[in-house]
Amino acid sequence: MATNQPKQGSENDDCSFLPLVHDIIKCMDKDSQDVHQELVKFKTRIQEAREQIGAMPGIGMSLSEQQHELETLREQVRTKNQLLQKYKSLCMFEVPKAS
Amino acid sequence: MAVTDKSTKERLLSVLDDLEVLSRELIEMLALSRSQKLPQGGEDTQILELLVQRDREFQELMGVAQEQGKVHQEMQVLEKEVEKRDCDIQQLQKQLKEAEHILATAVYQAKEKLKSIDKARKGSISSEEIIKYAHRISASNAVCAPLNWVPGDPRRPYPTDLEMRSGMLGHMSNLPTNGVNGHLPGDALAAGRLPGILLLCAYTPVPLAIVRRLSGYAPPAPWQRLWTGAPRPQQRERGRRGSHVYRLIQQQQRLRLTG
Repeated sequence: MATNQPKQGSENDDCSFLPLVHDIIKCMDKDSQDVHQELVKFKTRIQEAREQIGAMPGIGMSLSEQQHELETLREQVRTKNQLLQKYKSLCMFEVPKAS
Repeated sequence: MAVTDKSTKERLLSVLDDLEVLSRELIEMLALSRSQKLPQGGEDTQILELLVQRDREFQELMGVAQEQGKVHQEMQVLEKEVEKRDCDIQQLQKQLKEAEHILATAVYQAKEKLKSIDKARKGSISSEEIIKYAHRISASNAVCAPLNWVPGDPRRPYPTDLEMRSGMLGHMSNLPTNGVNGHLPGDALAAGRLPGILLLCAYTPVPLAIVRRLSGYAPPAPWQRLWTGAPRPQQRERGRRGSHVYRLIQQQQRLRLTG
């Protein structure tokens, strides 16, 4: 768990836009020619984030709705398994052998 | 409550739009203040705080989106399981329908058999009666040749010539054809001595088919073909049987000529 937390932290940092804004402001303070480059980078990053969000699966509903659907599916599987087990284990007819 | 109803995707896009707008506002404000060299108000601080807040929110939502992605994978696996179970249930349903059909057919046939058993019991006949009846109808050897019958045996399933002659028609043919005591057949009838059938033959034209029949021409009976080697009635047998009729026809012709 301790090793996972830094990883999650780094993943979240990748999503942050503050470093990019900070870079833009720093360039503005220095009157550097890189301001435009940083602005373009910022816009590109925003666009990429939008595309990434559009491609992510399973976010078409809220977390609570998704949890509810998950429970429903689990219940369905459980019920169908029980039914199948019940019907397959029903007593078979014993055909008396002709003497 | 409206925020919780929104999907994670909508919230992420909304926060991203806010981030973009706030970043632009901040950068424009800073650029303006630097160019005009005016003291900045508290607005840029507020915008910065909002920007930080939105960024934090964006990161949380991205975390939630990743969790939802994992849950989505689990849901896909469960959906496949549900499909598989549905197929199994449909298979069982098909087998159950088949079994029901077979059982229904068997029950129906059993009921029909029970009905026919009841019917047979109600109209039961003892085997002795059936055997007696069988003996009676086969006693005359009309259904099958006698066991010891061979070609040349005079026995026939129809009345033979001898049997006919010994019957009523045979006795009628023995009566004289010249009338009684010299009288014509018509007078004999009037006198009550000749039977009407002879008079009818004498005075009325007899159809050829009937004449042939009476003269003994008869097609072989169907059963006769079953008797292997059974000979057809001989010509002379026919001649013997029909001789009295032939004499009657001759007499009829003579009467016409004279009359």
